[in-house]
Amino acid sequence: MTGKHNIMRLPAAWFIVLGLVFAALLIYVGTPMAAPKQVKSAKPGDCAACHGQEKVFSPSHVDTKAMTYKDCLGCHEKAGPQKLEGKLPGSHIHQLGGITCVKCHESGQKEEEVAMDKCVVCHNADKLAEKTAKVKPENPHTSPHYGTTLDCNLCHHQHKKSENFCAQCHKYDFVVP
Amino acid sequence: MNDDAQQKKGLTRRNFLKSAGGVAAVAGMAAGGLAAGVREGSAAAGSMPKKWDGTYDVVIIGSGFAGLAAAMEAKNAGASAVVIEKMAVHGGNSIINGGDFCAPGTRLQKEAGVQDSPDLMYNDMMKAGLYLNHPELARTLADQAKDALEWCENYVGAKFTRLNFHGGHSVKRANQTVNASGSELVNKMLAKTRALGVAVQTRTKMERMIADKDGRIVGIEVKTGYRFPDEKSGKTAYIKARKAVILTSGGFSNDVPLRRIEDPRLTEKFESTNQPGATGEALLAACLAGAMDVQMDWIQLGPWTSPDEKGFGNVPLFCERLVGYGPMIDPAKGKRFFKETGNRKERADAIILLGHPVIIMGDSYAVPKQVFPRALEKGLESGAVKKFDSLEALAKNYAMPVEAFKQEIARWNSFVEKKKDSDFDCMIFPDARPTVTPPFYAARLWPKVHHTMGGLVIDTNAQVFGFDLKPLKGLYAAGEVTGGVHGAVRLGGVAMADCVVFGRIAGKNAAKETAWG
Ligand SMILES: Cc1cc2nc3c(=O)[nH]c(=O)nc-3n(C[C@H](O)[C@H](O)[C@H](O)COP(=O)(O)OP(=O)(O)OC[C@H]3O[C@@H](n4cnc5c(N)ncnc54)[C@H](O)[C@@H]3O)c2cc1C
Repeated sequence: MTGKHNIMRLPAAWFIVLGLVFAALLIYVGTPMAAPKQVKSAKPGDCAACHGQEKVFSPSHVDTKAMTYKDCLGCHEKAGPQKLEGKLPGSHIHQLGGITCVKCHESGQKEEEVAMDKCVVCHNADKLAEKTAKVKPENPHTSPHYGTTLDCNLCHHQHKKSENFCAQCHKYDFVVP
Repeated sequence: MNDDAQQKKGLTRRNFLKSAGGVAAVAGMAAGGLAAGVREGSAAAGSMPKKWDGTYDVVIIGSGFAGLAAAMEAKNAGASAVVIEKMAVHGGNSIINGGDFCAPGTRLQKEAGVQDSPDLMYNDMMKAGLYLNHPELARTLADQAKDALEWCENYVGAKFTRLNFHGGHSVKRANQTVNASGSELVNKMLAKTRALGVAVQTRTKMERMIADKDGRIVGIEVKTGYRFPDEKSGKTAYIKARKAVILTSGGFSNDVPLRRIEDPRLTEKFESTNQPGATGEALLAACLAGAMDVQMDWIQLGPWTSPDEKGFGNVPLFCERLVGYGPMIDPAKGKRFFKETGNRKERADAIILLGHPVIIMGDSYAVPKQVFPRALEKGLESGAVKKFDSLEALAKNYAMPVEAFKQEIARWNSFVEKKKDSDFDCMIFPDARPTVTPPFYAARLWPKVHHTMGGLVIDTNAQVFGFDLKPLKGLYAAGEVTGGVHGAVRLGGVAMADCVVFGRIAGKNAAKETAWG
């Protein structure tokens, strides 16, 4: 192999490494490209208002600009294979359903943490536990340790990828919306 | 040195201690080096904050059995109190525990006709502890365990409904909570603590103990809004303890760098049964403020955990209910290899010596009778516990020599008939029957890091001692963060008694301290 080849290869390899790192970062952060703008006045279906030119959909996806969550459900049935839960950040589903930023963050600041009291106004913890009673291997909404009192925020993040809190100690492969 | 500089120095030192890179250096320090920590601890006396963000008579670190017991007693003795907890949830290891509380002479023992006494419990603890237990601490525990259990039932309102046996005890003396989990007790303790008006503040991590110029502990530095395990998260705040700080921060089974210093075998290759926050920084912070540590290298491995599930899992509840009813087998030979009812250390050492997982088994008489139904069901579901129609099928699954195994079962059965094991002297319970009824149940066993016997030196008042062998004023400790109570081996079910007995003592005595300011 000639020296020239080596020189040629090095940057190529570096590109791949950088690319992989970048891809890993994207997956980790869950938001492709630069952080979206979070325009409070934006219509929830108006992706470009926050995401700009960034391609958040496949080109064949219908225009969502005027849509609400109900409209999405036409194709993305709640329990079906196309469901949005787990795919779209929770904050987006909330927005589409009319739960705008200020309904949770009183000041409208994302930095202001939302306490569980707010979540349970709509999502009653006991009812949730009943609803997921048959989930295997365990009901994610109740446990011998904390009953139904565990803070929603430990799993269900709204502005970053949700996580499986139970997995710290248990082998439960829940998909967390 | 000005305040800030001293504070920074303390921080750097702690970070250094914690980082894996510091391991070798710290190990080197162990001989005379800790003295440097003491000097620095007293040097830290000058670094009082300019302003306290909160003031209480008693400040409690950790929200497990020990911390909450201390909080209730301090409050009931008239002190104002707060409990801080670094994790997002309360309860530490206490809320994931198996709910077995050992005490002698209890209601459940009387109902089962079991003869027991504090002396017998004390003797069992000392024997298992290789007589390294600080005798006066073990004595206090054995003498007060029954009262502590009754306090949990009558004052806290927790329910205990079943009597269990644990290896190393000479009688059945583990009083189990109604849901076979420490959560029954710790959640009721939390509710009671809050009802008494004591706040329990999660995501608040103790970073440093603060001492005055005489070395008396006067408060702590914390990070509020801390997000485990992100060490950059949270905001610094200072909490003043007018009377005392009580350290109830639990053990360090999940602190790989620290446990490797104490027992170099315990690398990351060994899993732990503990919660992820079971790390030793709070204990080390106390040492930096002058508190003395003892027996830190006695770290317990649980011999009843399974390599086929994560963390504690369900197999321990399967295994521990079966010892004395079914045999433990080395699959390589198809033979028994050790006393099933031996203590944790003996059994874990015996398994590690074999170098591969072993099997615990029982038949359809012993298993349904002994094993908590939920644990069995969950174990079967996850595959960690398996069910077989015949002994042959069981042997085949674990690639055991079938004939040798069947002979061994016949031999075991003859011991069960005679109620005497002439091979390993396993304790065989009066209601045990030969292992003959299919289907048979079995699980694989491989040890995991479970309990840290060592920790801070305390006396029977739960007063922490310093490296000058004198009481370290203003600091009490209780529960797994302390050392000496159990010596070499903490027997099953004795940690709950330890936490509640000494937690209560610490709370009462802290409230009695004269306020410094
Ligand atoms: C899976 C399992 C099962 C068990 N089963 C039994 C049993 O059946 N019977 C029995 O007797 N024992 C059992 N044990 C042992 C027993 O549960 C523990 O020893 C006991 O719970 C320890 O209680 P504690 O109050 O000392 O600490 P913990 O309950 O661990 O509480 C300490 C708390 O302090 C917090 N903390 C630590 N550092 C800081 C800091 N820097 N700042 C703020 N907070 C901090 C921790 O996050 C933790 O929440 C079991 C242990 C485990 C892991």
